[in-house]
Amino acid sequence: MAAEMNKTTKVGIISCSGEEIPEGTISRSAVRRVLESLRPHDAVTLCLPLFLAGNEGERNFARTHPVITIDGCDKQCAKWGTEKHGGPVARGLVVTNILGGEAVGCARSSRTRGPADEEAVRRVAEQIAAAVDELLEEDHLAEGD
Amino acid sequence: MNKDGDKVLVIPCSGIGKVHGLISREAAYLATDEVAPEHTDVVCLALLVREDEETLAKVRAHPCITIDGCGKACAQKNVELAGGQVVDAIQVGKVLTKHRGSQPGSGSELTEEGWAICREIAEAVAEEAERIRAREEVA
Repeated sequence: MAAEMNKTTKVGIISCSGEEIPEGTISRSAVRRVLESLRPHDAVTLCLPLFLAGNEGERNFARTHPVITIDGCDKQCAKWGTEKHGGPVARGLVVTNILGGEAVGCARSSRTRGPADEEAVRRVAEQIAAAVDELLEEDHLAEGD
Repeated sequence: MNKDGDKVLVIPCSGIGKVHGLISREAAYLATDEVAPEHTDVVCLALLVREDEETLAKVRAHPCITIDGCGKACAQKNVELAGGQVVDAIQVGKVLTKHRGSQPGSGSELTEEGWAICREIAEAVAEEAERIRAREEVA
């Protein structure tokens, strides 16, 4: 971890939440699951629109903490925006890579969510949680804890 | 207006931290998928901010309705920065003040009250899209 990073760190997670595709909904839902259930004490989320709009609080967090971006597609808007305004990301995850392709049978709106959506969110959330664990472990090793 | 190329674009902020962002997102889907699918379409805000050429061209060529969760108005500001025309800027926070005491849900899930508020916003979007269509027909 870079020397200027916060020592007692939390990991920041930025989701693309892409509105045009189901994978954007999966990225958003998976991040919410990590924050609420899987790693509630180890991660926080940064709001991508706010981050891109120039909010200094969000950008400063990204400069001083490890950040995972989770994008719905290979255009990787969350990663692009984070690196442009906050610096290199620690991990850049892409939903279509995790799922091995497009999210077949998944919906954009949560009002029509079904088993395929649930399974996709579960798989993506577990990948994010694993990345959080890796980054915290790297941080502890770097600090000699 | 009935051609795909003449739709009003709906751009929600999808802010991830609070219920406001989820309402903005689901209201946009209700408008574009169910209430007014022939006249509206949704656009990725992140893709717009990423300066994706196709998205920039689309936003500059069509009237836009933004749905923001809070007063920071990220969707509205970014559409305007991209050179788009915002014909209506809805803020979920302001809509919620008309529903004091309501329990719309969380950033992950909406209650029945939350869905009703989404529908109210979606219908406002559809009405505005219809007004634009009527003005264009007169013109």
